[in-house]
Amino acid sequence: MNLRLLTASALAMMIGLAMPAQAQPQTTAAAAGSVSGEDWAAYKAKFLDSSGRIIDTANGGISHSEGQGYGLILAYLANSAADFDQIWTFTKTELLLRDDGLAVWRWDPTKTPHVTDANDASDGDILIAYALSLAGEAWQRPDLTSAAQSMIAAIGKHVVVPTDNGGITLLPGVTGFKSTEREDGPVVNPSYWVFEAMTRFASRDKAVDWKALSRSGQALVQTARFGERQLPAEWVSIKQNPVPAEGFTAEFGYNAIRIPLYMIRAGITDRNLLRPFMADAGGPGLSLVNLNSGAVTATLTDPGYRIIPSLVACVLDKKPLPQDLLQFTPTDYYPATLQLLALSYLRNIPGGCT
Amino acid sequence: MKTAIVATAILTSLSTTAILHLGGAIGVAPQTSAAPAPAQMVDFRSTGSVPANTWHSDKDDRLGLTARGKSDRLSGLPVKHVRSTSFFAAYADEAPDRKSILVAQADPASNNTSASDASTPSVPTVPAPAATATANATAEPKIDESALRYFARQGDQRRLDAEIARLRALYPDWTPPADPLAVPNVGDPQLDAMWQLYSEGKYAELRKAIADRQAADPSWQVPADMLERLGVAEARERLINASDLKQYETVVRTAADTPSLLTCAEVDVLWRLAEAFAKTDRPERARDAYKYVLDSCNDPEQRLATVEKAIPLLPKPLVDQLLATERTGPDGKGEFEQARLALSRQIVANAGQDPDLVVPQSDLNAVKAVAEPDTGNASDPRLLGWYYIRRDQPQDAELWFTKSREREDSAEAAQGLALAKIALNKPGEAEDILYKYRDETDDIRKVYMAAAANYLATEPRVVIDPTILARMAQETAETHDPAAAQQFGWYARDLNQHQTAAQWFTTALQWKPDDEPSAYGLVLTLNLLGDKAGVREIQRLWAGRSTRIANLGEPAEQTQANRRIPAPTDAPWTGQPVSSAAPAAPAAASTTPVAAYTAPAQQTVTPAGSYAVAPAQAAPSGNIAMADRMAPTDVTDVDRGATIQEAYTTARTRNAAVAPAQARQNSSSGGGNRASQNRNCSTTDQYTQLTGQAALARAWCLSEMNRPLEAAATFEQAIRTGNDAVRREAAYGQSLAYLSRNMVDDAALSASKAAQDPKRSHQLEVDILTQRALGFYEQKRYNEALLALDQRSRIATERVDLMAIRGYAYLNLKRLGDAERVFNAMAAVGSKEGYKGLATIREVRRLP
Repeated sequence: MNLRLLTASALAMMIGLAMPAQAQPQTTAAAAGSVSGEDWAAYKAKFLDSSGRIIDTANGGISHSEGQGYGLILAYLANSAADFDQIWTFTKTELLLRDDGLAVWRWDPTKTPHVTDANDASDGDILIAYALSLAGEAWQRPDLTSAAQSMIAAIGKHVVVPTDNGGITLLPGVTGFKSTEREDGPVVNPSYWVFEAMTRFASRDKAVDWKALSRSGQALVQTARFGERQLPAEWVSIKQNPVPAEGFTAEFGYNAIRIPLYMIRAGITDRNLLRPFMADAGGPGLSLVNLNSGAVTATLTDPGYRIIPSLVACVLDKKPLPQDLLQFTPTDYYPATLQLLALSYLRNIPGGCT
Repeated sequence: MKTAIVATAILTSLSTTAILHLGGAIGVAPQTSAAPAPAQMVDFRSTGSVPANTWHSDKDDRLGLTARGKSDRLSGLPVKHVRSTSFFAAYADEAPDRKSILVAQADPASNNTSASDASTPSVPTVPAPAATATANATAEPKIDESALRYFARQGDQRRLDAEIARLRALYPDWTPPADPLAVPNVGDPQLDAMWQLYSEGKYAELRKAIADRQAADPSWQVPADMLERLGVAEARERLINASDLKQYETVVRTAADTPSLLTCAEVDVLWRLAEAFAKTDRPERARDAYKYVLDSCNDPEQRLATVEKAIPLLPKPLVDQLLATERTGPDGKGEFEQARLALSRQIVANAGQDPDLVVPQSDLNAVKAVAEPDTGNASDPRLLGWYYIRRDQPQDAELWFTKSREREDSAEAAQGLALAKIALNKPGEAEDILYKYRDETDDIRKVYMAAAANYLATEPRVVIDPTILARMAQETAETHDPAAAQQFGWYARDLNQHQTAAQWFTTALQWKPDDEPSAYGLVLTLNLLGDKAGVREIQRLWAGRSTRIANLGEPAEQTQANRRIPAPTDAPWTGQPVSSAAPAAPAAASTTPVAAYTAPAQQTVTPAGSYAVAPAQAAPSGNIAMADRMAPTDVTDVDRGATIQEAYTTARTRNAAVAPAQARQNSSSGGGNRASQNRNCSTTDQYTQLTGQAALARAWCLSEMNRPLEAAATFEQAIRTGNDAVRREAAYGQSLAYLSRNMVDDAALSASKAAQDPKRSHQLEVDILTQRALGFYEQKRYNEALLALDQRSRIATERVDLMAIRGYAYLNLKRLGDAERVFNAMAAVGSKEGYKGLATIREVRRLP
């Protein structure tokens, strides 16, 4: 919070200048209107199908609960209730089908039925519930709020579980990750902690200690670091001390790269936590790293990937962001989403490192 | 107000959880679920003058669900209404104040029992004829006829009719305009475009269009009718999607939240709701839903389909209640005749699984009546065949299975016929019938081996064609079947081929070290061959375990009496082919998940048990051996949970699943010249010097002696030093050797060392993938096991036992839906394992 803890009035003034008149009072990165109309239009044109599904263009055009959650959040941040309704209709009728109130995670346009795997993915569940909660309250839509509350309760009931050491943790899905289901279980994914959502859930659901869950995620980012670059693995066994989980590549990979973005958006700007994510700032691309060998397995050059280390450098060292990262020209669904989330955050901080 | 009554019924039938869910949602936002203007509707009703029943017409296809259907619907039929009310009155017990629920539905804000959905509260609750709002009876009712007009203008008769029906359901006193086209067009092209989206099923776009217009024109009011219809349409999609995914609670919840969906026009939705009730152990609720269709809907095909759908899902007494609603057609035939036949078939089919079921003669006769004529199909006689097999009437079974095969030969009919032949003491015929199907399933293989063993055991001795002998020997070796090996031993002995007999008894003991009769056969043979040292060694090994072995050489030896295996008539084949009531597999055990999981292990033992049981005359030691053999399957007290799987995996005999290294040996030699070969490799001299053909021969020999690692090394020598033909053979042999030790990766590597002929390489690949799948499964690496099974299934049909592995892998991954699909498929072909899997899933679902 160091950057944003200027005097309250100065902050209010700057935000007042930066934001359109209809914007709500700003207290977090999740402010309606923080994604520009043009950016959102470009995003929609590329990734939003008229049926209301967000298309993962790099994954064979499938859709998933994560994408729907991102789509809902971005529609909310772009202050577009109509697009939100469109995406929500698809989400509700095609994915929100599970008996336990969570969403099935994968929808494939080429398969019949479109859903072939009824498992859930807890990050998708959290993103959807978070978006519903934001929109429901901002737009005074009790239908959305009530759907959000049901989902938050279901998440708390089905994927938040106690750990052996007396804490709680977040399972990546209802099935397949528990200690009873895997030799090295529980297995978790640190990039599934959408920290800003947990902050919000904490004030709206008392059945689960969401703040403790958020802390457990931060502790994981702190302790599940491996290799020379001290980066977190995507899939981590927390049976004992965190180690990369069996059967997964020990990698700082596509999932994990969003961890600093989630932290920063939630106002978690602890230098010690964020520093490892800054290494690629200003460089040619964001590195995916094999945590056993230390080898760089890929260098991602889309602006949506490169903006993440630069955002960390901005937050920690006030380093200005390269101008080209501020231009939104969508490439694929995932980097485009990350870039809009980063840009939406930058819009809400004074100066914005630009 | 039929829809309201349905809603009440469904609501009161919800599980506690669902009620809590609804209650919770209301608690969060109590004011959100207020239905729009219920007062107005009641108002209208109080001023209306049109009799509610004057507009119903049976020849009117106004809901047009099917092309020629005369779909009735639930609402607006006062007579049916009354009937349904009394029918659903059963629920009144659970909801003592049913009226208050109806009232609550009309005015949810006043009562917490409202059914408004947490996720779709913008959908107006269907009003009920409540008396709460009479005080407001001043305003003119406003019924939104814009959709009506739109569909009329579009000439969309089907939707026009549906809309008329819907409005009538909502407003019983409303009269449709005589000519919807005559209604002045107020001219709202934007609204028309919205209705267009609706009629195209583009609900997400319609939601967007509504929100866009509201944003652009804050004074614009979205027609309540449109919102309601949209909500119902979305609920319908959601319900069907959830039903396809077997998310039955979601199905029930969605139906409860959207009672106006439950009409004859949406009979598919009603069926799905009924299925959801049935699959979640609420058979009475399912019965209610089916009966509701039968009481309210008139389309003959839908009515028949309703009964047919109920039959597999409901217990017989409940099905009978549905059948009681049968109407008689103009031709004097009952409308459910066809369904009754399906029911009879199922009863007979069930009795083909369970010998204790008593089938009413009328059902048996009904199936016979369709099975008998030459126009009949192959499956009806098959059902009857199994029925009689299970009732120890092999003659009848033989007749029906033969008839089935005449119409269409199938592995299953061949299996049944073989069982009948065995029971009728015609094991040679059984062997002949089943040979070509021997690899279809493990069950069939077991029956085949039983046929072979009994054929060999036939007394007085018969001359068996050498080619038949050779193929039985090969299958015995592939299966590692100790019972058949033992019978080969006795058979050879009676033909005075004592060396061969010794070989077979030795082989049987390798596969089943505690097989006392084989040990006895071996000691007799060695004694006869004058191998004193061999005799003493066996006596030493069996000291204290077999008196007859110990007493060898003493008088009163009873070789003949002791070696005969019981004919199937002695140990009835009650359980074959899918299971058997052997001592280790008590049927009652299946009531717990533990037993269900472990059952496959019992099955692998059981069929052997029914023909290889130590004869009653045998010394007590024989029984001890038997008990030893059964012991590993006794795992009923295994802890529920992860260990359950262990019980399943460890008790399972892996090697039964792949062809053992011995296969090739017997396939070429048939067992006749084995003795000399055995001598060739029993020495340990300088085999490292062997090259080419000699190394190959020795390697096969080592394989046969069950020394696979030495064999693999020797095969390697053959690969290095031999010509192409030798290399090919050796690589193949090495693969088999590794496979027999479950060294799958090594086997795969070996297989790649020389090109094999396509058939052999295909078989190797199948075996390797099979072993991989089993290996992964045992290591609880279920995803990888599934991967291997997927790979295998691309090149070979999935055997039933591997389907079971697949099912349990899904189960372990808690992918209950997938597991259920697999077990359902197994159950569909009559696999008892499939039924057990399904029972386990149900059990698991009941766990917290």
